[in-house]
Amino acid sequence: MKKTEMNSHSKGIWVFGDYRHYFQNRVTLQLIAKANTLAQRLGAEVTVVVLGEQVHQYAMEYVAHGADVVMVVDHPSLKNFQVETYSRLVAALVEDYRPEVFLAGATPFGREFFPRLAKRLKTGLSTDCIALEVDAETQLLLQTTPAFGGELLAEVITQNHRPQMATVHPGVFEERIHDSRAVGRIIYPEVDIHPDERVQLVCSRPEQSKKGYLENAAVVIVGGRGIGSGEQFQSLFDLAELLQGEVGATRPAVRAGLTGEDRLLGQTGKSVKPRLLITVGTSGALQYTTGIQGSETIIAINRDAQAPIFKIADLGLVGDAHSILTLLLEKLRKRL
Amino acid sequence: MDIVVCIKQVPDVPNIRLDKHRMTIIREGVESIINPLDCVALEAAVDLRERQGGRITVLSMGPPQSEEALREALAFGADQAILLTDPAFGGADTLATSHVLATAISMLKPFPDLVLCGKQTIDSDTGHVGPQIAEELDLPQVCGVNEIHLQGDSLVVKRLYDGFLDTFRVNTPALLTVSQELSSPHHIPLADLERAFSDREIIRWGLKDLSLKPEEVGLGGSATRVWKLHKAAPKRRGEVVTGSPQSLVEHLIRKLEALSILDEENGNE
Amino acid sequence: MRLEPTMKQMVMRRTVRKFAEEILAPVAAEMDATATFPSEIIQEMAKLQYFGLEIPAHYGGAGLDAVSYAIVIEEISKACAAIGLCISVHNSVSANPIYEFGTEDQRKTFLVPMAKGQAIGTFCLTEPNAGSDVSSIETIAIRDGNGYVLNGNKVFVTNGGMSNVNLIFACTNRSDKQKGYSVFIVESERNGLEKGPTEELMGMRGNPVCPIALDDCRVPVENRLGAEGQGLKIALSSLVGGRIGIASQALGIAQASLDVSLKYAKERYQFGKPLSEFGAIQNYLVNLATRVEGARLLTYRSAYLKDQGLAHTKEAAMAKLYASEVAVDATRIGLQIHGGYGYTKAYPIERYYRDAKACEIYEGTSEIQRLVIARSLGYGRE
Repeated sequence: MKKTEMNSHSKGIWVFGDYRHYFQNRVTLQLIAKANTLAQRLGAEVTVVVLGEQVHQYAMEYVAHGADVVMVVDHPSLKNFQVETYSRLVAALVEDYRPEVFLAGATPFGREFFPRLAKRLKTGLSTDCIALEVDAETQLLLQTTPAFGGELLAEVITQNHRPQMATVHPGVFEERIHDSRAVGRIIYPEVDIHPDERVQLVCSRPEQSKKGYLENAAVVIVGGRGIGSGEQFQSLFDLAELLQGEVGATRPAVRAGLTGEDRLLGQTGKSVKPRLLITVGTSGALQYTTGIQGSETIIAINRDAQAPIFKIADLGLVGDAHSILTLLLEKLRKRL
Repeated sequence: MDIVVCIKQVPDVPNIRLDKHRMTIIREGVESIINPLDCVALEAAVDLRERQGGRITVLSMGPPQSEEALREALAFGADQAILLTDPAFGGADTLATSHVLATAISMLKPFPDLVLCGKQTIDSDTGHVGPQIAEELDLPQVCGVNEIHLQGDSLVVKRLYDGFLDTFRVNTPALLTVSQELSSPHHIPLADLERAFSDREIIRWGLKDLSLKPEEVGLGGSATRVWKLHKAAPKRRGEVVTGSPQSLVEHLIRKLEALSILDEENGNE
Repeated sequence: MRLEPTMKQMVMRRTVRKFAEEILAPVAAEMDATATFPSEIIQEMAKLQYFGLEIPAHYGGAGLDAVSYAIVIEEISKACAAIGLCISVHNSVSANPIYEFGTEDQRKTFLVPMAKGQAIGTFCLTEPNAGSDVSSIETIAIRDGNGYVLNGNKVFVTNGGMSNVNLIFACTNRSDKQKGYSVFIVESERNGLEKGPTEELMGMRGNPVCPIALDDCRVPVENRLGAEGQGLKIALSSLVGGRIGIASQALGIAQASLDVSLKYAKERYQFGKPLSEFGAIQNYLVNLATRVEGARLLTYRSAYLKDQGLAHTKEAAMAKLYASEVAVDATRIGLQIHGGYGYTKAYPIERYYRDAKACEIYEGTSEIQRLVIARSLGYGRE
């Protein structure tokens, strides 16, 4: 069906349907929800674009989660998410239907596909947004993205180019509950597909457990340079054992020989996102904290009340690590 | 194999401080370095040249002081360095930046077999420029590569994405963006550093050399604009407690109970 | 007068600092504990031309200017003073003299492998009875046919335990105090050269300092460096460069101490406050920071003068004198600030303290430096 079927006066809000790992990767559903909010402000419809092979089931899901329209291009050559092929195809759709806004999740695919698409369309793109609003005065999409390692937030606008494109950080918005009675149109636009043969996917296999014990742990205890000695560092292992967790370390602690490089967390080491992270004797240098930012809850213990670590902790205890740990271990051993 | 590596001079972000009043970055006393992932790309280029022979050209768009980064890249092993600099290039977003870089690359003779970029920079973090150069030059792209193998006229590359280890065969010419695991940048020999600063030449190209119009570059050639900057709101509750070790440990244990890490103590003994 | 580093020098500092932090710092504590110098470290440094810092590239060196040289030594010494000592001595008083005073053949034979780190060099001056008093050396070299026979004992030879090329300062004419000395290049394998057991040192323990004995050691005339009788001139001129090296080394130790002390004072709480909020501690650190800055300026200015081809004997002596004393004070006060923990091996400050002291003694004691400076001010005898 062609564009005349759609209300050509509506300013469309499009969302790219990234349906891979559908049950874990909820970002498309989150964006559909947000798109609905934006659509209300702009008087627009929410369209989800789905490319692939045998993808009808996803189209239905998207309607149930709030899409007004799902635009489906179903073809065997689209089975693998392929940047060059998808860019060409989606650009053609955008040129036909002229959406006002186009959103995608900042998944690894989104982050390599959307820039290419934006360039093809010669329009503006902001990446990994953590907020989207419509400005009351200008009706422009205000795109908030982190800069300089997250220290600053930049509000970006695309004034004179369309569509206004943005990729959004997963988990920022909340999806709407599945509503099987929701109504939406599924359309199948005619479009030329030019599969790009220059890049061939040879194989794709699930990641080996390169993600080791640290990245899989639900509880991580981290020791920094503030842990005075190897013996004191051992108390972290004791604590980890009691809480069924793993032990990590900062670069200064590794350099001081308190433990091995395999436990290093941070910019040059591993990143962890446990449910609970207890960080002891670490000052909170950015090289370290980038490796732990994703933790659900951070508890920090440090002698220095001014230590930057307290700014990223949910709970901070100012005191001597050794005394606190000794007492904590004593109390925990009694209970467990 | 003719390889182009695009690099960017960035502030040493971990050491950066914030001017909370003017909402800008304080650059004084903060050194400028080559974006770390660009060094990984350079190392990969040097490695490929060792295996296949060829030439490495390093490009950077930036103000005149980006010369420092280019000389460091020459010391690192690049054969040729080109600085794309012009007041007109200032204020560019990634759309305009990729246009300048793509234009420069298209002027190289011969056209390169491979363009390498770091996956993203530590200051803007967007990761746009690689894919946008690839689009403008109509090159196939693979992003976040952590292994590169040569196979006849094509490249076999791997990357870890979205929970999967993907292997691609890519025809050259192509563009790849690289991730940390691809290589460990070597330490630069001092003789090479000395030579890079005393003997080697940096080619400079401006607006006219690239035959571009002012409205294609810089602020005029950009589609996005930064409207406002704010300090990031603290994402954490930031509760800080002082006191005796006993009271601190009590507080901690209660928190662990609240998080269901520990079961609450039964009853009141 | 240029007071700021050039773009090249800034990049050089960053490059060396990265290498020192990643490769050298991690081995420093163990080198000190076991008194060993790992050969892998030599190989890593050799690849980057650390053994030919001021030697021109066509001999395999890096061809650096004196300021860049000082930067390299400072950054290495910050990470590990024993390695800094090795590099400084090998360059300033072993490789450089061969470049300066050697024939083209000597440069090919000795300088090239040294610049490439394939041969480590020493300068053997001090003897059991001759420390500051160079003229009382007893090692003699007697002309015999087309060579010399050397006899004598050298002590406290830095790099001795791992050296391949040794510059021996010997007496060739007892009656001439000015022109009675010569320098000989003696390979470690040469018959008649014996290395003694490594000294047990207070600090810089990773550096294999040992005595070298010469017992009827026969060397061909081609191994004499410079003309017969030119020994004193060679020694004195190399020592000036050596002073810049040691000043840089002391500066590195002082800066490292200052860095760890500043950090410790912020983290350590007593009486409910960090140490850094107590006036007494603040004063210590402020004074140290000021003096380290002074040492920095003296050191780099003397290097700068050398690069400009201007006289710098006085400035180099002042830099060495001042920087070494600042290093000793910085480590002493730094350790005091660390308190009880500073007295343990858990913190590096006690190693810095032990390392720093040597800087006031070798390559001309502080007393000798004062003599040199006095003379340049017009005091002291001619």
